[in-house]
Amino acid sequence: MRKIACLTFLLICAATPAFAMIKGVATLQWIGSIAREIGKDKIEITALVKPNQDPHMIEAKPSMILAVRKADILFYNGLDLEIGYLPVLIESSRNPKIQPGRPGNFDCSHFVTVLEKPVSVDRSMGDVHPLGNPHYHYSVKNILKISEGMADALSKLDPANAGFYKANLAAFQEKANKKQAQWRAVSLKGKRFIACHKYFEYLANDYGFRIVAYVEPKPGIPPSAGYLEKLIETIRQTKPDGILTTPYFARREEDFLSRKTGIKVIVVPHDVGTTAVAKDWFSLMDQVLSSLE
Amino acid sequence: MRIRALCVLFFTLILFSNAFPEDIETRIKTLEEITRQQSEKMSEHRKFIDELKGTLGTPDSKVPAPAGSGASAPGTSKVTGLFGGSAFTNPNISLVVNTFFYSSSRKQDEVDKRTIPGFTNLAQDGRTKGFNFESAELFIFAPVDPYFNLHANIPVTEEGAELEEAYFITTSLPAGFQVKGGKFKGGFGRINGQHPHAWDFVDVPLNYRAFMGPEGIGGEKGVQLTYLPPIPFYLQLGIEVFQGQNELLFDPDGKSPYGFTAFAKTSFDVGENSTLLFGPSFLTGKAKITTVADDTFFSGTSDLYGFELVYKWKPSRSRSFLFQSEYLYRRQSGDLTDLLSESANPLKRAQDGAYFQALYQWERWRFGARYDVLDLFKKDFELAGVPQDFGKQPWRATGALEFNPTEFSRLRLQYNRDDSARNGQVNNELFFQVLLGIGAHAAHAF
Repeated sequence: MRKIACLTFLLICAATPAFAMIKGVATLQWIGSIAREIGKDKIEITALVKPNQDPHMIEAKPSMILAVRKADILFYNGLDLEIGYLPVLIESSRNPKIQPGRPGNFDCSHFVTVLEKPVSVDRSMGDVHPLGNPHYHYSVKNILKISEGMADALSKLDPANAGFYKANLAAFQEKANKKQAQWRAVSLKGKRFIACHKYFEYLANDYGFRIVAYVEPKPGIPPSAGYLEKLIETIRQTKPDGILTTPYFARREEDFLSRKTGIKVIVVPHDVGTTAVAKDWFSLMDQVLSSLE
Repeated sequence: MRIRALCVLFFTLILFSNAFPEDIETRIKTLEEITRQQSEKMSEHRKFIDELKGTLGTPDSKVPAPAGSGASAPGTSKVTGLFGGSAFTNPNISLVVNTFFYSSSRKQDEVDKRTIPGFTNLAQDGRTKGFNFESAELFIFAPVDPYFNLHANIPVTEEGAELEEAYFITTSLPAGFQVKGGKFKGGFGRINGQHPHAWDFVDVPLNYRAFMGPEGIGGEKGVQLTYLPPIPFYLQLGIEVFQGQNELLFDPDGKSPYGFTAFAKTSFDVGENSTLLFGPSFLTGKAKITTVADDTFFSGTSDLYGFELVYKWKPSRSRSFLFQSEYLYRRQSGDLTDLLSESANPLKRAQDGAYFQALYQWERWRFGARYDVLDLFKKDFELAGVPQDFGKQPWRATGALEFNPTEFSRLRLQYNRDDSARNGQVNNELFFQVLLGIGAHAAHAF
């Protein structure tokens, strides 16, 4: 009898999450944006990385630890992009719900087809991500899969509203497919660009343009004067359609190259919130594609 | 004969193709279409093979569902490490090499004997003019199971390897509690918890050296309980029990347990780009030490009070600013035995000290300045009821310039004007330090 009582008590304890609202933490703004599309008013999202910050160089601030401490679910990019701070956040959060392997630990990259997974890697190559290029958020195909995963995860946390998440997912996917048709109409095929960082590989793959050279000689390593000289030569020969950079880069090198070669610098927003227009993932993509056109 | 027939056929074909260019074009198009489809298929196959490769060798991953099949729950479809999967898998290992060149305005034997009278009789060891090897620090960390993470830190010096830290930390306690146990650096103050390679300067501030030792309290055996309440601001509360083997505060032999600490740290974000962290710390325990002065033995109690303040401003990837300060106040009372005359006298000392440091980062460069001072507000040292005077107020000023080529390497040039020996002999010190890390990418705590 006592056993049964204990068991019921435990079950009640385990099952209590009678959610008023799911507390979600997303590392990046775009992840928060997708989660909001699926969770709508049933989820409250805090995004940790501010739009003006370099997503590669984030510190585990106490306020972030506190946010993760209170979270029911943690959404992150994965592929080691957050390796500089997320392990500390997860460990210091003292929150069992979001530990690896739990339903509240949502690694978006698990749903993604990864590009540029290196066969062998060491750090003499610069800060190469050994698990592949982590900047997959410009890829509609990947985003669709992530959104499915999110709907599943939210339904598991909050089964009562599974239908709601499913409906939101359907609406999101429909909109994304419709938008994709618009984006595909932007003619980028055959265009060639210089890029600040390996940020645009998924876009290039989807829309058929090429990145012919990088302003960084190696990922995470700023260019030397000699390297820039060579790059100017390359630019003069290949005549690319633009030099791509993101709002958090200082733009000094990009502007210098532009002055020397007459090729224009195109600032492509790298995340939601980095420009006034990019309010969610859709408007981010709108702006990205129109800026490349 | 056959060749001739082939030639005829070939030319006829050419003729035909010229005669019916449209037909050829459509055929080419179909062929192109077929090749395109096939290459697509091949790339799909390749992807599938890659995925299979990914799932092989991961015996604990359950169903090898293709990435993104909506049915598979996150965390079950691929291997998940401490970070949700890393190429440097279980356990994560890294090695940090810390080496420096040292130059001083004093003679080598003066450097070797340089203490802070009234505070500590320990000199800074490992300061040889010329090339010095500080350590190669080995870090190992990984989750044990869903309930514990394990961390170890083994600095290897020229004298051999030592176990600075080896501790577990819980991940699944409810209600915001966490237990740490084993041998670890405690939560008292700020620099105490940092490893030497993460320090903002080559050495610790004078108040750390005077009250805890050249590396802070260091790894202590014990257990820690911390609590993070779910309130609108960050507040971490912690208590610790240590065996207590610090050479300046406790009993290095570990025969007189225990040392106790308690601390609170709170933090606020100030605007978009700034963070403030501050809080008090307290430590108490029994002391059986030989570091008050040479040829003495002190038996009594130690109390140490601290207050830390950190302000960080980081408006962009290329610029940041840090201000940090810690105030320490130490009280010890007990009996001091002179080992030569074997006479014991009551000793009471209550002393304090602080450091103030600021660092400004611009791109890959960082400039640092620090001022340390002891006997700031309190300088009581009473032996047998008689106040003692040890001379000048100890202070030191430091300037540093760092170049950080990547996150994994740091070159540091540091100058100290050290007037802490109390006899007016200033030591002008110059360091050129190289710090290099390889292996798993350790995350940076705030």
